[in-house]
Amino acid sequence: MTGPARGYGATSPRILLVDDDPNLLVLLADQLRADGFDVQTARDGDEALRRLRSGWPDLLIIDMMMPRMDGLTLAREVKAQADLPIIVLSAIDTADSKADLVEEVAEDYVTKPYHYPELRARIGRVLRRLGDKVPRRDLVLGPDLVLELHRRAATVRGESVPLTPTESRLLYALAANLGQTVTTETLLDRGWADTEDADPSYVWVTMRRLRQKIEPDPNHPVHLVTVRGIGYRLVGVAGAEDPVPA
Amino acid sequence: MTDSRLGPDGSDRRERDGGRDGGRDGGRDGGRDGSNDGGERSHDGGRDGHPDGGRGPGGGRANRGRNSEPQWIGPSYSFRARLTAGLIAGAVVPLAAFGLVLGAAEIARSGGLDSTVGGLIVFALAAAIILAVVFGYFLAGNLTGPLRAIARAVERVSAGDLSVRVEVAGEDELARLVESHNRLAADLERRNTELGRILVAIGETSPRDGQERLVAHATANARSAFEMIDAAIHLGDPDEVPIEEVVPGEARPVRAVLALPDERVGVLTGHLPATRSWDAADQDLLELFASEVAVAIRNAQLFEQVRQQTERLIDLDAAKDDFLRGISHNLQTPLTSIRAYAEQLTGERPDRRLAIITEQSERLSRMVRQLLAVSRLEAGTLRPRLEVLALAPRLRHAWEALGVADLAFELDDDAPGWLAVADPDQLDQVLWALFDNAVKYGAGSEVRAQVRPDPAGSRLLLTISDRGPGVSEEARDSVFERYARGGGPDHPEGTGIGLYVSRELCRAMGGSLELEPRGPDLGGAFTIALPAEPPAAAEA
Repeated sequence: MTGPARGYGATSPRILLVDDDPNLLVLLADQLRADGFDVQTARDGDEALRRLRSGWPDLLIIDMMMPRMDGLTLAREVKAQADLPIIVLSAIDTADSKADLVEEVAEDYVTKPYHYPELRARIGRVLRRLGDKVPRRDLVLGPDLVLELHRRAATVRGESVPLTPTESRLLYALAANLGQTVTTETLLDRGWADTEDADPSYVWVTMRRLRQKIEPDPNHPVHLVTVRGIGYRLVGVAGAEDPVPA
Repeated sequence: MTDSRLGPDGSDRRERDGGRDGGRDGGRDGGRDGSNDGGERSHDGGRDGHPDGGRGPGGGRANRGRNSEPQWIGPSYSFRARLTAGLIAGAVVPLAAFGLVLGAAEIARSGGLDSTVGGLIVFALAAAIILAVVFGYFLAGNLTGPLRAIARAVERVSAGDLSVRVEVAGEDELARLVESHNRLAADLERRNTELGRILVAIGETSPRDGQERLVAHATANARSAFEMIDAAIHLGDPDEVPIEEVVPGEARPVRAVLALPDERVGVLTGHLPATRSWDAADQDLLELFASEVAVAIRNAQLFEQVRQQTERLIDLDAAKDDFLRGISHNLQTPLTSIRAYAEQLTGERPDRRLAIITEQSERLSRMVRQLLAVSRLEAGTLRPRLEVLALAPRLRHAWEALGVADLAFELDDDAPGWLAVADPDQLDQVLWALFDNAVKYGAGSEVRAQVRPDPAGSRLLLTISDRGPGVSEEARDSVFERYARGGGPDHPEGTGIGLYVSRELCRAMGGSLELEPRGPDLGGAFTIALPAEPPAAAEA
């Protein structure tokens, strides 16, 4: 399928922006274009689906609450057709009971009113993650560990353990490069792109916490291996089916 | 002489039964036990013990399948005959002896005592006495033996072994006594069985089953427990179901009102086989069952009511949640535009007025979020997402977002390298509320924030303080209460939920929020404690 015409050169990512508030739509489109994105806009779900028929963007930004088709329905419909990355804009925050539903279909979501720099950072993070292709299925890493990143959980010794958004983002980056070392800088960027004061200790501490969650013996990790001075490596152990995605 | 005695099989069985319910308090437990493990047996027994089952004496009425051998009493001489014989023996033998003595005295007086005759008389006398004693002894045994057997049987029945029956030959008074004992034991056993089934049936009911299933269940249980031909439960006014007449030879109608102390729930009706006896005790038992059914139905009705109310509340809560979400969306959407445009303009041409627009729209949006947080706290749907984060930069951002450039802010970070474990969004709300509070009540004094590790363990303590008048003694207790305002009528601004929400959010994140005691050189001071990670050694 051919994409829409690219007005900013072959490398500018295409974004389809869907929001029912025209003020915001115009402003945000302007801001994104000024940052070099190729932006199309839609006022509601139907218009968005029509635009998708003429070509896939690299990323969708969808407002959660829209008349007729709400953002969640639109996101589900899009995901049913193609694995397009989606960022949901919404007035609900992480503590809302609907946050889980959003996270099931969306790669990320940004709470309204947003800071443009934060939204910009998250767009960058989601687009960078496009290279990390992890199948939306369980990843068996050993007899005691199964990662279910599409639902932000791991099964450790038969018991389901919830993962925080950051933890699953880090594991996502590591799983996409299974068996290979991922640098601390990469992980920091994947996990905390929108936190300007994050430093490598965020990665170290989060890895320590992750080991407590998923390693059989956190003091002698077998899955989350430190590559001293460089970064980390996620490895499967004997007994696991071949976890490398095709 | 056939002394009544249990067969070896019977005595073994009794010991086993006794062993099973032994430790527990005898009678009732034993009865239940017996009725539970002997469904088949007691069917048979019930019919055997049936008072209308003919009065045919012993021999023909073998107690097949019974666990205890019948107590056998014989031989078949009537009790009256045996008593007569005993009395005669008691009277005649002394009379004969007296006659012999008189005769001997006569002989001795008239013709000199022939020693031979004298000895004969003495011998006869002795023989008569011995004979009388032996005869009397056996007669006594013959008379008391059956009575002892009956006494034993009665004792065992009263100890809870209702399966014991005594068999007697003949149709004398003893036989009738035994017959009525057997009937009593059979009735007791039957009712015990019924009671056992009722108890089991009651134990099986649960208000969760719903009224319909409960009624069906109770009807089936009534039929099986009382061995009815049919049974039905009518819910509503019992008088709506006409009372049936008892017609001899036809199925006997029975009836019991499902009565509660304050209400008659319905009526249980049914029919028994015509041959089945039915007396006051049976009726009592049926009414007991009916009242238990009434209680179960009432429970089911109440349970259903509670369930419906709960469902309604859940629906209402979801509606409220949707409503608040909608309100939030409708308020946040224009605020998003306002702030985004103000920020964009600030970027092009910095202006303090634009900064105020940004700050005030931020403030408004924070308040909306606070209200949402209250609703979620009340509904218990608040679930923080805990991430690691450094407190000091977070504090600085929160202060800057407040936009009070004219106030001094001092930040002491005594926990370098430590990372708190908290939900970033919720923590920002708490920090914003505490800073807002310090600005509002600090009377223009410097605001200070201090971060330090908790000496007691892996937690970070964060104190935000001002040098204003602080919280008055009388307000200290209520400062965290909902809709409490520290300033009284002089400070009408604020929603009065900031500190309440902040404390609850801290608790939800596994931490706490406390008001510090007043001290010299210290105004209002609040300390947040949060779970934290000590500094990590550089590893990668």
